[in-house]
Amino acid sequence: MRRAKHGSIVRLWVACWLLFAPAAPAEQNACVLVLYSNHRLLPANIAFEAGLRETLDNSTELNAEFLDYPRFDSESYLRAMTTFLREKYALRPPAVLVAGGKGALDFVLSHRAELFPQVPVIHAGVPRSSLQSRPPLPADVVGVPIEFDFPGTIELALRLHPHAQRLVVVTGASVQDRAWEAELRGEVPRFQDRVTVEFRTGLATDAVLERLSELGSDTLVFTPGYFEDGVGHLFSPREAVGLMADASAVPVYGPFDTFIGTGIVGGSMPNFAAMGRQTGRLVSERLAGGAPAAQGLPELMPRAVNVDWRQIRRWHINPSAIPDDAIVRFKPPTLLEQHATATVVATVVFLLQAGLIARLLFESRRRRRMELAIQQQRFELAHASRLAVAGELTGAIAHEINQPLGAILSNADAADLLLASDADRRDELRAILADIRQDNLRASEVIRRLRALLAKQPADWHPFALNDAVRELEPVLRAEARRRGVALDLRLATTATILLGDRVQIQQVIINLVLNAMDASNDLPEARRTVAVSVERDADQLALVVRDQGQGIAPEHLPQLFDSFFSTKPQGMGLGLSITRTLVEAHGGRIWAESGSGSGAGAVFRVEWPAAGGAGTPEPA
Amino acid sequence: MTTPKPLIHVVDDDESLRTALLRLLDAAGFNARGYASVGDFLLQPPPDGPGCVLLDVRMPGPSGLDLQAALQRQGNALPVVFLTGYADVAASVQAMKAGAVDFLTKPVQREALFEALQRALARDATEREARAQAEQLRAAFAALTPREQAVFYHVVAGQLNKQIADALGIAERTVKMQRAQLMTKLGASSAAELGRLAERLQHLSE
Repeated sequence: MRRAKHGSIVRLWVACWLLFAPAAPAEQNACVLVLYSNHRLLPANIAFEAGLRETLDNSTELNAEFLDYPRFDSESYLRAMTTFLREKYALRPPAVLVAGGKGALDFVLSHRAELFPQVPVIHAGVPRSSLQSRPPLPADVVGVPIEFDFPGTIELALRLHPHAQRLVVVTGASVQDRAWEAELRGEVPRFQDRVTVEFRTGLATDAVLERLSELGSDTLVFTPGYFEDGVGHLFSPREAVGLMADASAVPVYGPFDTFIGTGIVGGSMPNFAAMGRQTGRLVSERLAGGAPAAQGLPELMPRAVNVDWRQIRRWHINPSAIPDDAIVRFKPPTLLEQHATATVVATVVFLLQAGLIARLLFESRRRRRMELAIQQQRFELAHASRLAVAGELTGAIAHEINQPLGAILSNADAADLLLASDADRRDELRAILADIRQDNLRASEVIRRLRALLAKQPADWHPFALNDAVRELEPVLRAEARRRGVALDLRLATTATILLGDRVQIQQVIINLVLNAMDASNDLPEARRTVAVSVERDADQLALVVRDQGQGIAPEHLPQLFDSFFSTKPQGMGLGLSITRTLVEAHGGRIWAESGSGSGAGAVFRVEWPAAGGAGTPEPA
Repeated sequence: MTTPKPLIHVVDDDESLRTALLRLLDAAGFNARGYASVGDFLLQPPPDGPGCVLLDVRMPGPSGLDLQAALQRQGNALPVVFLTGYADVAASVQAMKAGAVDFLTKPVQREALFEALQRALARDATEREARAQAEQLRAAFAALTPREQAVFYHVVAGQLNKQIADALGIAERTVKMQRAQLMTKLGASSAAELGRLAERLQHLSE
């Protein structure tokens, strides 16, 4: 197909060139006569002539005559034919005579003196064996011989069917058919170690077809076709092969390229059209005045393996067994071959789109991954900061837990002592047990709250009341306030304080801000060691405000206050407020600090969230 | 001895713990009284009987350390045993420097608690005894006549009777007689002993 395509491009190019080429000088057109051995409709002749015309200049006049061998070959016919040709072309003598086939060459050589004595002859399609078996040709008779590749075709058949056991060779009854049969009988012994070879020679066509239809699946058929069957019916080899291929139960191979399309699988074959083109080139050279130069010519017309793709599929032949240089015919053109530009454009557009989509998907996934990573990082930071806070709160926490534990131990000791005494102190013992139980629960509650605060658990988003979050922290904050000798003033909102988010993270914010305020109160006189925490709610804001009465924030520190690693404390990591802001912003809120004017006015940290639902709903008790 | 039974003052804001401690002390045969805060304790009439204070460190309002300092300022020398939920180093150092008997951590083992309280009570008894003796000495000294006190100062300054007589413008015999009288009154049997009494008196008056 690709070759055909190249061919058509070349033709197109030549056509264009011819169209715009300067007109040839007006003189009588050169005349070329082609004399074919056989008849007009022989497919090989038609293909040859097409190739020939393709190559010749438009101005060249091309005439064709057909000897109709082997049907007509009597002496009188040949004499009449000679006369006929001489008379017919007396006024338009050919400048070059082309002899197509062995019969035509024989005829031309024997009647040349009577016909066109000085006219150079170019032969084509003459088997090399016949040229070798005759005296050398005159110097002005040149051409490229052919050789039908019977063994190559059989080789191909065996290659495509490696498991075949039997080869049936069908030949006909005409002189030419007998010649082929003889040639084949000379060739087949070299295949006999691979397959059993059987000849079906000179049978009636019906008998041939019947036998072929009964062949077993381990069999292959090879035939060059025939001109005449055993009962005298005449065929072109192509017709005969077409009938056989239709009837055969097994694959049929043949050595002529004209057979392709009749139903044979393929063969190694010279190309008749190529032969025509080769001859055309020789004719053109001759017409242009070139001397005949037999030595410059190829020794043999090239052959090629041709296969019919439809037959390959029909017989389930493994395509990888087809030789790489084979010409595969009737293979449905791919989309690219049929609509090259559209296909290429569509493919490019598709690829661009696919690339774009892939890119977008990739970007989207990358963004998602980054978001996840950020979320994870925030979570880790929040946890690390909670642990840090836990470290700061160790005293308060230990106090909270040791208090009930101390009570339990002392109660148990008291009970121990009471039991050792003689008196009946049952009521007292009962009270002691009740207190022990109570303190035990109290200790577990402290631990439960701590675990909720410190556990490394992923963010858990739920609506919750900010008031409750503060209330839950109250014991631990109060314990810490006591430890530091700071007064803690808690004021909750009176209306709903629902916030959507992670309660533990918000509690983290509260703890961070309160500890920060307590740090600021450390060195103050006792009267000013007060931290006020309030939850405030108005129509569209929910706010957490933490206030101290410390030194306030230096104006130059305000802009960096929430930056990581910014700290004014000697041992500060500078992470607390930065994490606090991260957590607040993750909950859609904002945080800022204000400093009262003058010393002692303290700092105010304010966190605000847009109110979520239920503004003004009374806070459930 | 007819001294009253010592009283242990338990100051802790945690009601449950306080109750448990009082129960335990009661069962162990101690006399104990509870207070919910430092203020609570201070509002009660100052305890003058023997005893000690079992004191929490961190409490709302004034802390246990504040109370310890206040007691010392008042000259109320009740020994203090601290009992804290969380023993931070700074607080324990401050408490021990200020003379605390012990610094215990909750939850406290019964034996450790009793041992610390016994030590506190023993110290209280000792100090009480020392204080009583000093008081006695001060009273005896105050009971001396002005002339005897004057002789006393000269004697402990190491002067001889004759020198004292010259300094005071009295007879050496009078000096001798008054010296014997004051030694009797102060219960001293030698000049050396008198010197030790003088040191203690000087110490008490500072």
